Amino acid sequence: MLPDPSLITNGLVEAFTLSNLLFILAGVAIGQIVGATPGLSIIMALAIAIPLTFGFDTLTAIAFLISVNKGGTIGGAVPSILINVPGTPESAATALDGHPMAKKGRPLKAMKYALYYSVTGDFLSDVVLILVAAPLAVVALKMGPIEITALMILAFTVISGLVGESLLKGLTAAALGFLCASIGLDPGTATPRFTFGMLELYDGLELTALSIGTLAMSEILYNIVGARKGKPSAAPIRVSGGTRSDRTVTFREYLANRYVALRAFVLGTSIGAIPGLGSTTAGFLSYSVTKQAARDPEAFGTGDPRGIAASETANSAVVGANLIPLLTLGIPGNIAAALLVSAFMIHGVQPGPLLFEEQGNLIYGMFGAMLIANLCNLAVGQVGMRFWAMIVSAPASVVFSGAMLLCFTGSYVIAGGVFGIYVMIGSAVLGYLMRAFGLSIVAFIVAFILTPELEGAIVSSRLITGDDPWAILSHPIALALLALSVVSIIYLGPWRRTPGAQEDPEKT
Amino acid sequence: MANLKTCVFSLCMVALTPTVAVAAECPEGYPDGPITFRVGYGAGGGTDAVARKVASLIEEQAGWTVVVENRPGASGGVMATELMREDADGSIVGVASNTTLAINPWDNPDTVYTYEDFRYMGTGMLLNYGLVALKDKPYDTLEEFIAAVEEMGRGTVSVGAASHEIAVRAIADHFGVNLVPIPGKGSAAALQEALGGHVDATVQSTQHVPQIKAGKMVQLATLTDTRAVYAPDVPTLKEEGLDVSIEGHIFFMLPKDTPDDIHACLSETLAEATSSEAYGEFMAKLETEAMNMGPDGTRDWLEEASAFYKESLSGEQ
Repeated sequence: MLPDPSLITNGLVEAFTLSNLLFILAGVAIGQIVGATPGLSIIMALAIAIPLTFGFDTLTAIAFLISVNKGGTIGGAVPSILINVPGTPESAATALDGHPMAKKGRPLKAMKYALYYSVTGDFLSDVVLILVAAPLAVVALKMGPIEITALMILAFTVISGLVGESLLKGLTAAALGFLCASIGLDPGTATPRFTFGMLELYDGLELTALSIGTLAMSEILYNIVGARKGKPSAAPIRVSGGTRSDRTVTFREYLANRYVALRAFVLGTSIGAIPGLGSTTAGFLSYSVTKQAARDPEAFGTGDPRGIAASETANSAVVGANLIPLLTLGIPGNIAAALLVSAFMIHGVQPGPLLFEEQGNLIYGMFGAMLIANLCNLAVGQVGMRFWAMIVSAPASVVFSGAMLLCFTGSYVIAGGVFGIYVMIGSAVLGYLMRAFGLSIVAFIVAFILTPELEGAIVSSRLITGDDPWAILSHPIALALLALSVVSIIYLGPWRRTPGAQEDPEKT
Repeated sequence: MANLKTCVFSLCMVALTPTVAVAAECPEGYPDGPITFRVGYGAGGGTDAVARKVASLIEEQAGWTVVVENRPGASGGVMATELMREDADGSIVGVASNTTLAINPWDNPDTVYTYEDFRYMGTGMLLNYGLVALKDKPYDTLEEFIAAVEEMGRGTVSVGAASHEIAVRAIADHFGVNLVPIPGKGSAAALQEALGGHVDATVQSTQHVPQIKAGKMVQLATLTDTRAVYAPDVPTLKEEGLDVSIEGHIFFMLPKDTPDDIHACLSETLAEATSSEAYGEFMAKLETEAMNMGPDGTRDWLEEASAFYKESLSGEQ
C-alpha cells in the first residue's frame, strides 16, 4: 500500500521550482495575515484567491491555495494569544492558555509554542496523508451515523471533565451550549426552533460571532468594568521586556510536551480523516483530553504550554488529514476542502478514486509543495510574530479599542451582515454573565460545537435503523466507542478532581 | 437578432479587441457605479462559484465593476428578503437557487416572499440530479433497486436538500415501496454515507461523478428532464414512467419594480456571459451544463416548479 519512494522524490523535485517556491511563500504569508485578522476567514481568502489562479499552472495553483490554507491555521493563533480574540474559530482553544501566558509577559514565547506545535501537527499529518491516505480513508468511511453518535457521546464524556470545580455550574454552562446550539432548523424535519420568525436564525448562531462574543468581547467588558471599579486593568502585553527565556522556546521545552503533542496529533488526524467534524472540534477535544489526563489540571488556563501544544497540534493536524477523504474519495471534510475541490475541478483535476492513477505526478508534486509550505510557514511565522507582537505592545486603551473594533468588523464580515454583530453582542452579554457567575465558557462553546453533530447523527441513526435500538449490536465500532465512554466517565470524570483545588472562573 | 449579437461578440473575441464590447442595449448612464452580486449562500458553495465566474466574465465583456457579496442564511432566504427592500435601480443583483425561490416559500413558515416578488435576468447552470448507489450493492438499475427495496421491506436514501427528499418520496409513492430519505448536512455528507455503505442509495448532483468514472458507483436513474451529461445511458424518471423532474438551477434576480430597460440590459449582459466559450468550459469542468432559460423561460420554470413543490410539501404535512 505504501507509495513508491521515487514518486515522492519526483514530486518534491517537481514542486521545487522558483515560481512554485515564490507562490508558496506568498500563499503562506497571505494565509497568516488573513488568519491573524479576526473576521477575515481563510474560506473567504480561498474563495477570492481561486479565480486568481485560473491562469496558473495546475501544480502552482494548488500549491498556492494549500499554502494559503496552511498559513491561515498558524495565523489564527496570533490574535488568540495576543488579544484573546480568536482569528479563526479553531484557534479559540489556543487562547485558553496562550493568552494567559502572553499576559504574564511572554507573548513571543506563547506564539512560538503555537507556531512550533502547529507546524509539527501539520507536518506529521501531511506525512500520514502521503503514506497511508488510501487505507485510512476506507477506515474513516466505516464511521456512519451510528458510529458518529457513539463518538460524540464519548466526546461529551471527555469534556464533562471541563466543568471545573462545581459539577452543577459546569453542567449549567454545557446546558446553555445545548440551548444555543438548538437554535435554527432541526436536522430531521427542518422545523424552525427558537427562530422567532427571523430567517437569519434559520442556520443557527454563527460560531465565529458567538466565540468572538463570549471569549473576546466579554473579556474586554470584564476588564473595562474591573477598571471602573478601581481594579488595576489587565496590564498591556509587554513584548520587549523579560529575559531571553521569556521570548524563546528551547528545544528542550519543545520536547517536554512531546507526548501531549503526539496525542493531539493522533486525535487531530483521526478527526480530520472523518469528513465533517472539523478542526474546532479537534482543538477543543484535544485540549479537554489533555487537561483531564494531566496530574495537575488546575494549571491549565494559567498559561500552561501543554494547553497550547494540545490545541495547536490538533487543529493543524486536521488540515493535512482533511485532504485524505478529499483526495481518495472526493469528499471534502470542511468548507476549505470543498473550495480546494472546486479549484481542482477548475484545473481539470477530479478528486476521487482515480486521482492517484490519473494524476500521480500532480499529486506527489502537491505533496512536495505541502512539505515545502510547512517550512515556509515556520520561516514566515518566525519573522511575522515579532511584527504582530509589536502591534499589540501599544497601551491598553489602544489595544482594547482596537480589539473591540476587530470584534465588530469580524462578526459583520463572517456572518455577512449586521446580524452577526447582534449575535456577537448577545453572546458577549451572555459571556459576561457567565464569567460573573463562574460558569465555564469553554464548556459552553464545546457543547455548542458538538451538539449539532450529535443531534444530526442521532436523527440519521434513528431513520437508518428504523428506531430499532438493537441495531447497534451489528456496529462493533460504535459499541467500542460507547465502552470507552464508560471508561472515560469513570477515569476522567469530575469526581476525580482533588477537592479544594480552587479554579479561577476567569481562567476558563 | 440574437444570432447576430453572438456573432458580433465572437468576432470581437477572435480579434481580441482591447476595447469594451457592449453588445447589450443599456439605458444611457447605466450603470453609474459598481454592480453588486448578492449571493444567497456562503463563499465556497456552487452558487457562489457560478456567481463569481459570471461576475468576472461580465467585468471582462461589459467593462463594468461587479462586486460579489455573500449573504448566507435560510438557503438564500435572508438574501431574497433583503433584496425585496432594495432600490429597484439595477445596482443589486441577487443570486439564488431553486430552493430559495421554489421551495422556501412553502417549506418555511417565515418566508415572506414567493417567486412572483422578483424579476429574473435568467439562470446560469443546470444541475443534473441522479439517484446513485454503490457498485457493490446488488442492483444496477431503478427496477432492480425497487425490487431489492421491496424484498428488504424498507430502503434508505441519503439526501442533501429538500428537493432531493421530495424526489425520494415521489419515487416511493410511485412504485409503492418504503423508501426513507435520510436528511443530512449536504450532498457531501450524503455521498459519504452512501460510500460507507450506511444507506442503500443517495441523491447527488455532481460530486459522485468521479465515483461513477471509477466504477465504484452506478447511477440508477436521472431525476432531471433530460439525461445527465455524465451518464448518457441512464434513463430519466420520466422515461421510467414517473412524471417527476427535480432540477437544480442558479437564478439571477432583481427587485420586482426594476424598470424594463435596465432589466433588458442586465438580462442581455447575463446571456452574453453564459453563452461565452469560457463559461461553457467552466461548466464542463464542473460536470454540469451551462443553461440560461432567459427572463421569460425562468419565470415559466419557476411557476411550474413552485406549483409542484407547493403540492408536494402540503401533502407531506
